[in-house]
Amino acid sequence: MVIFSISNARYTYVHDQKYPSKDVDIHHIVSRRSNAKYLVYATALLVLACALYLYVLKGKSISFVYYSLLFDIFLVKLLLGKPVKKESVVIMPAFGVQLETHYVSGKVIRYFVPIDNILKPVLIECVTPVTCYWTLSLIIRGESEMVLVFKNLRPPVKMLVHVWKALCAATDSKEETCTHAE
Amino acid sequence: MGDSPPQKHRILMVSDFYYPNFGGVENHAYYLSQCLLKLGHKVVVVTHAYGNRSGVRYMTGSLKVYYVPWRPFCNQSTFPTLYGILPIIRTILIRERITVVHGHQTFSTLCHDALLHARIMGYKVVFTDHSLHGFGDVGSIHMNKVMQFTLADVSQAICVSHTSKENTVLRSGLAPEKVFVIPNAVDTAMFKPALERPGGLEIVVVVISRLVYRKGADLLVEVIPEVCRLHPNVRFIIGGDGPKRVRLEEMREKHSLFDRVELLGAVPHAQVRSVLISGHIFLTCSLTEAFCMAILEAASCGLLTVSTRVGGVPEVLPDDMIVLAEPDPGDIVQAIQKAIYMLPEIDPQVMHNRMRELYNWRDVAKRTEIVYDRASKCPNQSLLESLSRYLSCGAWAGKLFSLVMILGFLFWHLLELWQPADDIEEVPDVIFSHNCDEEMLQKS
Repeated sequence: MVIFSISNARYTYVHDQKYPSKDVDIHHIVSRRSNAKYLVYATALLVLACALYLYVLKGKSISFVYYSLLFDIFLVKLLLGKPVKKESVVIMPAFGVQLETHYVSGKVIRYFVPIDNILKPVLIECVTPVTCYWTLSLIIRGESEMVLVFKNLRPPVKMLVHVWKALCAATDSKEETCTHAE
Repeated sequence: MGDSPPQKHRILMVSDFYYPNFGGVENHAYYLSQCLLKLGHKVVVVTHAYGNRSGVRYMTGSLKVYYVPWRPFCNQSTFPTLYGILPIIRTILIRERITVVHGHQTFSTLCHDALLHARIMGYKVVFTDHSLHGFGDVGSIHMNKVMQFTLADVSQAICVSHTSKENTVLRSGLAPEKVFVIPNAVDTAMFKPALERPGGLEIVVVVISRLVYRKGADLLVEVIPEVCRLHPNVRFIIGGDGPKRVRLEEMREKHSLFDRVELLGAVPHAQVRSVLISGHIFLTCSLTEAFCMAILEAASCGLLTVSTRVGGVPEVLPDDMIVLAEPDPGDIVQAIQKAIYMLPEIDPQVMHNRMRELYNWRDVAKRTEIVYDRASKCPNQSLLESLSRYLSCGAWAGKLFSLVMILGFLFWHLLELWQPADDIEEVPDVIFSHNCDEEMLQKS
């Protein structure tokens, strides 16, 4: 049963409750179909078409076609390799938090964090050499590194806030934030 | 009709030189940011990562610092990529709703890159030059051309002394009316004189500087033995490290001055005051200096300064607080002798109080605020209007600079298509509830 959802151009956030127990809380971040992959496929087809043209009409070596096929495979693998369909957070307040990554291929990777191990869920700003974005992480007891809740997708903060609040409630953490100037 | 309230700016300070590194530029950027925050402006700092310090950090007074994970390439500067930094700078400018970009220091490649991209995107830019440069050697010629490129389309510029202003105007071809002179300041709360002056008949001369050619280490080698010969009650304490340390050690050995010349090695910034207050006279033999911060720190600790008459140094202190000499060993020895005779008239506490009034960061911030106001009033110009200024930078250089700008403009528009500005989330302004280091800003 979908309780609440938000969408933008790239992601859809869904707050779900599948189980009869009202305690189990599920939050999904679904990656919306991107037009970028069609651009990648179009580029790959164009490269292959050029190679075939050179082979059939210009009498060039067939190795051109083989190399273009190899290049296409490399291009598709590089840009579209392991696409993630959605990432989910299953919150079981008395038990723990399960982080799930659903791939387009159907493969699902699950990672469970016991509730006692979670010190605090935090919304932090991540800085890479090319961009900045908000991310939701779990501070784990006895661990030097935080656990990213969404490892592959980068949903906007307006979606992350709902998951963060649910995690705070489940782990009995205060929803502490700095004062925001109006 | 009442005056309109002063304009509040959202400033992005950009430099490769920032904490945890220590130095004049780092200090300037930090204290200026703190005082601008106190004046009600929003300040964000962008620098490169230092070791494992990367990502977003908050400093005193909710000062937000982006430690971008680009590694330093040479002398704490990042590799000049031209366009590599554009995506992150664009993201920060949008998410922090920046209105003015303020770059610090000629040697900072991050600063040059950021100012270039900010101009492409139509932001107002201000540049502060903290150093003096030559005109003759290959390095200076190259650097001056880069400066000419960066400052061709800058809104306003700031220099730390009038000498520095002349130097910058000559090197960059920038209109003098666009360049403001705002001297550095000192945190007098950190540099208080000792409660009791070092007693006895002994006179202690303190030297704290990097032991390199530019800082006049070779002059020191000739000055110290002569002063020790003329004044048996004079002792030297030398703090700092560098390639010229070997020469000082050789001099100490040659003249048997082990009991009178103490070499401390590198002195952490937190311990500078404790070294200064153990002396009576502060000596600096720099061969070039835009504005010597060390002189302010020494004067704030109540030390009488002896310095070479170079660059912006004569502008730093009033005549009764400093003795100037030509960068010549004989002249420096005479200046030290003059300072020794002046010592009885010096009251460290009076000197400290004068420094507190003469040099404070709040005054620097208020003057910088005026520069930002001027910059924000500069008319917005299209790329074509800007290109004419780049073309005038030289027969070949002008065309190259214009090409760099056009490619940057195209890359920016490509990024706008890839990730529209609307998709970049704006960050709420953070105000921490506790007031840390309130005292520091009250006193400075």
